[in-house]
Amino acid sequence: MNKQADVKLVQNTPKKRKKVHSLEKKTARGGYLFTLPFIIGFIVIYLPVVFESFLYSVTTIERINAGESYQLVWAGLANYKEALFTDPNYSQVLVSGLQQLLLDVPAILIFSLFIAVLLNQKIVGRAAFRAIFFVPVILSTGLILQIDVSNTSLMSYMSDSEGIGTNAAQTTSVAEIVSAMDIEYLFSNMKVGGGMAKYVSSILNNIYNIVNRSGVQMLIFLAGLQSISPAIYESCSVEGASAWETFWKITFPMISPMILVNFIYTIIDALTSSTNSVMVYINQVYGEAGKDTLSVAMAWIYFAIVIVAVIVAALLMSLFVFYQRRD
Amino acid sequence: MNNSQAEPRVKRETKNTIKVEFDRTPFWQRMKAKFINKNFLSKVIWTIFRYVILIGISYIILFPFFSKVSSSFMGPEDFVDATVKLIPKNFTLDTYKYIFLENKYMQALGNTALLSISAALIQTFICAMIGYGLAKFKFKGNKILFLLVIFTMIIPHQTLQLSLFMKFRYFDVLGIMQLLGGGASWFPHLNITGGVTSINLTNTYAPLAILSATGLAFKNGLYIFMMSQFYRGVPNELEESAYIDGSGIFKTFIKIILPLSVPMMITIFLFAFSWQWTDTFYTSLFFTRTSMVLMKNVIAIPESLNITYAGSNMYNAAIRNTCGLMIIAPLVIIYLFCQRYLIQGIERSGMTAD
Repeated sequence: MNKQADVKLVQNTPKKRKKVHSLEKKTARGGYLFTLPFIIGFIVIYLPVVFESFLYSVTTIERINAGESYQLVWAGLANYKEALFTDPNYSQVLVSGLQQLLLDVPAILIFSLFIAVLLNQKIVGRAAFRAIFFVPVILSTGLILQIDVSNTSLMSYMSDSEGIGTNAAQTTSVAEIVSAMDIEYLFSNMKVGGGMAKYVSSILNNIYNIVNRSGVQMLIFLAGLQSISPAIYESCSVEGASAWETFWKITFPMISPMILVNFIYTIIDALTSSTNSVMVYINQVYGEAGKDTLSVAMAWIYFAIVIVAVIVAALLMSLFVFYQRRD
Repeated sequence: MNNSQAEPRVKRETKNTIKVEFDRTPFWQRMKAKFINKNFLSKVIWTIFRYVILIGISYIILFPFFSKVSSSFMGPEDFVDATVKLIPKNFTLDTYKYIFLENKYMQALGNTALLSISAALIQTFICAMIGYGLAKFKFKGNKILFLLVIFTMIIPHQTLQLSLFMKFRYFDVLGIMQLLGGGASWFPHLNITGGVTSINLTNTYAPLAILSATGLAFKNGLYIFMMSQFYRGVPNELEESAYIDGSGIFKTFIKIILPLSVPMMITIFLFAFSWQWTDTFYTSLFFTRTSMVLMKNVIAIPESLNITYAGSNMYNAAIRNTCGLMIIAPLVIIYLFCQRYLIQGIERSGMTAD
């Protein structure tokens, strides 16, 4: 009986082998199937959109057939030239926007790392604080942010409490606290230079903005901090390292990949946020009649500058990033 | 101390318990040794410092919300009264009432809910699928696809807004409509659609549906990244055993992988939902007609409250803030119940750079 079954099996196998695909081929096919929506979307929609966006920046649009279709007229680099040299505001907005980005990014990184370190320790109400710090990520976006921009007078009115603010010239409550502490005087005694004092006080004036923008970064740092093995800290404390030394020798190198990730995330987030002054100006130009292709050229200039800066900075930073697992 | 070898003296004996007095350091001395030293004091100072910082920053985050809520209950008189701070004197619900009645709030709520829920559902499923494909299958171009996903995340959509608008205003896939309409220069004899060479998809849900279904909508690159990071942590043995039991690739995905990733998918859904809910970019790009009432149309001063007086500047700001509060009211409720998922989701995805 057994022999007969074996013979049958042997006879059957060659026929079947032709139909059966190898597992590798099967999984490769599965991979293409699962990512098919993205592949189609990228080829049919995204690539043409990016390409056309480039195309629009070197043309002007003329609508024909009463808006039913349109015609592109080649304009060369005229849009770029107009953006950089003719437009009275763009270069100014661009420079100040880049400056703001340069100041904001370190502030956000340092702030969110600081808060993440604080929240990583076991304290009462940790979950509540974490939830509060994450509120702006969900609730202060898009429409609410737009409303907030036109809000400063009301906010100063509401927070103008009797204790600190008798000075009508100050606009926000934080500015009042800063002026009450006289932070610049404090710094002038510390001999760190006027630029530093100005930077710190500008951050303090801007703290609401910075806190609002560091929710996700804080969580990424927190996740990184929690992935550091407690055994390392234990051996550190056995060896007699102070908390300060432990931070700089253990926490900081271990968290450095997260710093790189957060650095890139912060810049991309700032690029795409609706309150970014350069983007606001570009949107405003986009709304003006006949200037839509000009706004595209402006957006490309801004994007090109920032992305080159990000790549250079990321490459420089990656030299100092420490990875625990080196294969 | 010298009689430490002595037996503990029985102090009091009741039916169930015996109280024994040990010979040891007095209570206050023990407390002194414990609490008055450098280590403990620095710990206390650090704890206080930490709470001051944390509570202070919580205040910075939450204060705008408090002041918005309190100003939403204020009558117009309160904005010229210098003695009114935070607590309204002329308590009124008129602001809410007129926004509700005159700004088409319910209509906007319905439309936006339909838009956000359907967009978020599609995005969650599609991003899970793409993330799974990128994380678990080895095929040619896998790494390039992953880079392309990151690429879509990096280009700011303001750069693409004109071409996105043009794409959906004159929608045409690979020149098919142009061919059918007789507009193709290489084959002009065909004219089925009567000269119409493109479809106008603006002011419909179609652009957002198409973008969501292809994983290109707002921050979808981030969602795909998070999902694929999550799936990388799922052991391969699960699927292998399913394959051995004769389940196909899709059946395995639906029956085994999807139920496993429900917590992560809730995270993605909540992000997609709430960011779509307050989105201004896509709604103002694709919904140009005012007949389509969305949340962005709610922000306006209602006719009945449009009065001019000394404090009208601030009063109008308060009304706009009340509109904002009413817009985010559903989000606040969701956040109160689901913040656990949002926060854990980001932490679980790890975002590790390796």
